[in-house]
Amino acid sequence: MHEVQDRTWSVERYERPDTIEEALELLNHHGERGRIIAGGTDLLLEMQRKVRSVEYLIDLSAIPGLDSIALEDGFVTLGPLTTHRDVVVSDLVVSSGLPLAQASLEVGSAQLRNRATVVGNVVTASPANDTISALLSLDATVTLSSVGGSRTIALRDFYLGVRKTVMTPNEIMTKISFPPLADGDRGMFAKVGLRSAQAISVIHASIVVSENDGLISGARIALGSVAPTVILAESARSLVGSRLTVDTIDACAVATAAEISPITDGRATAEYRKAVTEVTIRRMLHAIRTGVERERWPSRVTTLATDRSSEPMAAVSVGRDSEITLTINGKQTTGRNTTDTTLLDWIRENGTNSDGSALTGTKEGCAEGECGACTVHMNGQAVLACLVPAAAAHKTDVTTVEGLVSRADIEIKNTFVELGAVQCGYCTPGFVMCASSLVAEHDGLSPSEIRDGLSGNICRCTGYESLVESLLQVTGTQTAGEAGS
Amino acid sequence: MSIGTTAIRLDASAKVDGTALYPGDLPVDNALAAKVVFTDRPHARLVSLDVAPALAIEGVVEIVTAADIPLNEYGLTMFDQPVLVGHGTGKSNVPSDISRWEADQVAVVIAESDDAALAGARALAIVWEDLPISPDITAALSQEVLVHPENGRETNAYYHLKIRKGDMEAGWAAADVIVEGTYRVPHQEHAYLQPEAAVSYMEDDVVTVQVAGQWTHEDREQIAHALELPEDKVRVIYPAIGGAFGGREDMSLQIVLAAASLKLAGRGINRPVRCVWSREESIVGHHKRHRAEMTTKWGATRDGRIVAVEATAHLDAGAYNYTSNKVLANLHMSLTGPYNIPNATIDSYAVYTHSVPGGAFRGFGGPQGSFTSECQMNKMAEALDMDPIEIRRINLLHDGDDFITQTPMPAGVSIEQVIDALEEGSGWNRPWNTETSVESIKTLPAESAAIRRGRGMACALKNVGFTMGFPERCEATITLDGDDTVASAHLAHAGADVGQGAHTAFLQMAAEAVGIPLEDMTGTFSDTATSGDSGSASASRLTFMAGNSILGAVEEALKAWDEGDRPARGHFRYVPPPTEAIDAVTGRGNAVFALGYVADAVDIAVDIETGHIRVGTVYSAVDVGKAINPGLIRGQTEGAIVQAHGYALSENLRVENGRVLNPTFSGYLVPGSMDVPDRIETIIVEVADPLGPWGARGMAEMPFIPYAPAVVAALHDATGVWFDEFPLTPDRVLAGLRAAGVTR
Repeated sequence: MHEVQDRTWSVERYERPDTIEEALELLNHHGERGRIIAGGTDLLLEMQRKVRSVEYLIDLSAIPGLDSIALEDGFVTLGPLTTHRDVVVSDLVVSSGLPLAQASLEVGSAQLRNRATVVGNVVTASPANDTISALLSLDATVTLSSVGGSRTIALRDFYLGVRKTVMTPNEIMTKISFPPLADGDRGMFAKVGLRSAQAISVIHASIVVSENDGLISGARIALGSVAPTVILAESARSLVGSRLTVDTIDACAVATAAEISPITDGRATAEYRKAVTEVTIRRMLHAIRTGVERERWPSRVTTLATDRSSEPMAAVSVGRDSEITLTINGKQTTGRNTTDTTLLDWIRENGTNSDGSALTGTKEGCAEGECGACTVHMNGQAVLACLVPAAAAHKTDVTTVEGLVSRADIEIKNTFVELGAVQCGYCTPGFVMCASSLVAEHDGLSPSEIRDGLSGNICRCTGYESLVESLLQVTGTQTAGEAGS
Repeated sequence: MSIGTTAIRLDASAKVDGTALYPGDLPVDNALAAKVVFTDRPHARLVSLDVAPALAIEGVVEIVTAADIPLNEYGLTMFDQPVLVGHGTGKSNVPSDISRWEADQVAVVIAESDDAALAGARALAIVWEDLPISPDITAALSQEVLVHPENGRETNAYYHLKIRKGDMEAGWAAADVIVEGTYRVPHQEHAYLQPEAAVSYMEDDVVTVQVAGQWTHEDREQIAHALELPEDKVRVIYPAIGGAFGGREDMSLQIVLAAASLKLAGRGINRPVRCVWSREESIVGHHKRHRAEMTTKWGATRDGRIVAVEATAHLDAGAYNYTSNKVLANLHMSLTGPYNIPNATIDSYAVYTHSVPGGAFRGFGGPQGSFTSECQMNKMAEALDMDPIEIRRINLLHDGDDFITQTPMPAGVSIEQVIDALEEGSGWNRPWNTETSVESIKTLPAESAAIRRGRGMACALKNVGFTMGFPERCEATITLDGDDTVASAHLAHAGADVGQGAHTAFLQMAAEAVGIPLEDMTGTFSDTATSGDSGSASASRLTFMAGNSILGAVEEALKAWDEGDRPARGHFRYVPPPTEAIDAVTGRGNAVFALGYVADAVDIAVDIETGHIRVGTVYSAVDVGKAINPGLIRGQTEGAIVQAHGYALSENLRVENGRVLNPTFSGYLVPGSMDVPDRIETIIVEVADPLGPWGARGMAEMPFIPYAPAVVAALHDATGVWFDEFPLTPDRVLAGLRAAGVTR
């Protein structure tokens, strides 16, 4: 059999305890057979692709307070449940940790960011992971906790190699912390990818520069996708003690490219990575010098999350043959088959319309969170059902395309029909789900905001123009209606 | 008027509500799950296959192997592939114990659940003897490893087409300028959003397969052939189809699931069998647009007249022919574009390799051939310091001219009107948009000093309908109801609605022909039990062919109505003027009966430091003959342009050593909403085709074809550098620019 034909995953038990102590106990008990899950967006793929074998999933999402972003003792802190979505809507991070906000906004799609956590991105330890560079440039530390206590280490000491870290199997990363950018500090993140959204880094970089009386007193340049781990470039030192000028910037950019030895892979050649690293560093330092590093931050961020509940989830423990219960389109739905099934498959197998027919509107197009055809609303957030273990949706409120029956949603559906935004139709439910969230989130959408809001979904038939036009018409009508009332 | 209006699609409401049923959504009680096992061997001999360990797995019900396929051979135009690799019945001339492709199928495991079927698949005990491979065109042409030694040829270049037109010596003698080029074009994956899925079951003694395909009757014929069944014992039904683009023209699950149902029935088990592929199985397991290599040399007079063309083309057919011989014919006929070329020598070859088969994909050979002709024409314009439209005007084909196949063009040649419409609609002669910007790095402002802008155009012709003597036909049945006057009508038609909106257009044409409002028209579609043969949803042929069949059926029904029949029924089989295979030596022959014409123009911005390209406005002028449904035409144009945009810029299928290395949407990058051109302007041209229904021509493939060469021309306009290979990924672009010394 071909390896791509064997993509199942299965665990013995899914646990969702409501105290951190209990989670640490469980993890200590299961050892290498256990794994912490938060969003699960990386972990599910790792299990399906046999990168990681896990028997016990320990979900932290019933533990209160773990999704906070706070200023503690002069440091910005993130918890293990803090999602990329939480980061991009945090005024604190945007104002005092811009590189992290910028990196987070370039991770996956809005649907993915609603589930994927920053800690998850850091722990997965891929050299392409965007937030790692941002945090390295911000000089972050991480706190690792186990039943034996906690230790706090610098993030730069955390990585040992590709997907290898100093974390032991019984540890949980309970906190990320970094000093806020001070008055003289400037920083930004930049990524070169192969598409305008959902791009995996060809290379990325994050820079923080501290200035004192016009002279640079400190600088960190973190680089991703150019080495087995995200690295801090030595070239940053050359800036210290000088001013940012055309010449010092150029010298630093050239030196940065000279010190890396990237590889050729499916995304780009090694030569390209070196060349574009130099260009990126040069452009970033110029942006910092001229003070435009914040210019491209959107005036309003799209999250596709309308009423995120701050309530922690219910504590549960789900075994192989346990039943789970979801509210789907307002209807209590109970079923089995929960420790080897995604929310997508579970909805299609267990969900029903009022006439008893199966809820098959939610589609699988890629099973890796790239196409958005499986988008559903889970507790008010658009999420990718193919990347949510069914058990993680236990006791949640889920809406599928069949359940979108409000006046606003019907208007979206009707406009798609009228303006030819539907061809083969297989992607359509996912677009309807995202459009519903997008229209609810913002008034008076611009064409670029619509394209951005739909960028987590792939359509192979229409070319997107009719989808964008449809939402312009819908949002235009709404604005007009509000103006008239 | 029912035609000429943007009628709302019949199926759109169910699609936005999520209630439209695709093959994987069909409610089937008590179904068994099937796993179709790929060999995972680009070239190997099956030594032994032991199913016993798999049958011992709890929940495994049955396993279908080569021995269950009576005539173990498959192929749309030539039988060269075993349905299942293994030791079979020996009836076919195709050696069935050889795997020639990593996704050749070796067994179907039928079980109570997907999990059990997978466990069974894992447990199959197969012993292979791996064999050396011919992974690509270059290796295959060395003839060291033959892919199909059984065909008796000493070469992997198994199919050769020629053109020997005019007098080459005189042609070169007249040439003042010569332009040469070697072009390499990549594979392309269809990436329809719905991966393959099917349900199969017995209705009495009729095996029925519900699947997403492109030609119900061809599916039925292939199933019947391999399983040695009379065609009336096989039924094929298409529920909603999640995109196709040519990728569903060949068989995926059709034959093997029918075989599974028959084997179960033989054991007295009458339960449906269901199979749904993953995205990775879909990308690994079905054919691609062919990669190809073309070398060519064009000569022109100083005043821009092309007087000689020499060309050699090699198409990577992969492990099996599929439709490669037909694709090659289209490539062959498009290497000289829509131009009147007096002297030409062309040799085109289809080459077997141990890679993924090439097959049908929107444009069907046209994109590969036209990339060659259009880059050559644009380079010739540069060499002669002429405008690209001006030089084309000098060389365009007209009514009465001979085509490259040395027979008169089908009447209704309209490339000149299309070019005129593009020139006018795009404002080609006015200064162009200079606002297009490229934001290589999202968090940084565009780097204006590194941005270069340019524009380019290209044009093409493309056959409508089958070519080269392939039997062309289309059937329709109309039923008229009412008393004194016709109150309602019903159409039965097999033509597939793969997402393009064919069924809506069918009903519009039927309502128009009957003379009733569209809302009084109903239809039954895509079921071999209720309709005659429609031919495929391919070759931009359905509107043309179905329209003519509907016109004929309505005429028959109205005759019956006049004779007093209530209801009155009319059946018609439309057959267009016959075509013929081109001559083996000269390439002479009446190969096509209808053609469509198209021209695209684009403007781009390129960041010369990062190699990123942004396409600004795309103008696509396409002759549709008569716009039956302008909204659907716009939808086809925009969709084709964006699919071509991916082909030209980002879709980089890596196929090495007989394997697809990136069979995922994270590795194979289909354009998203922020990657596509800023704007697409569809320019509808209506020059009637004398044979078309109401003058309509096919159009769904056409806008795709000139897009890649238009982008390459714009990139040249921006930077002065020609790119003879694509996709234009940032690393390829930057390397090309640096090699040419283009810097800030």
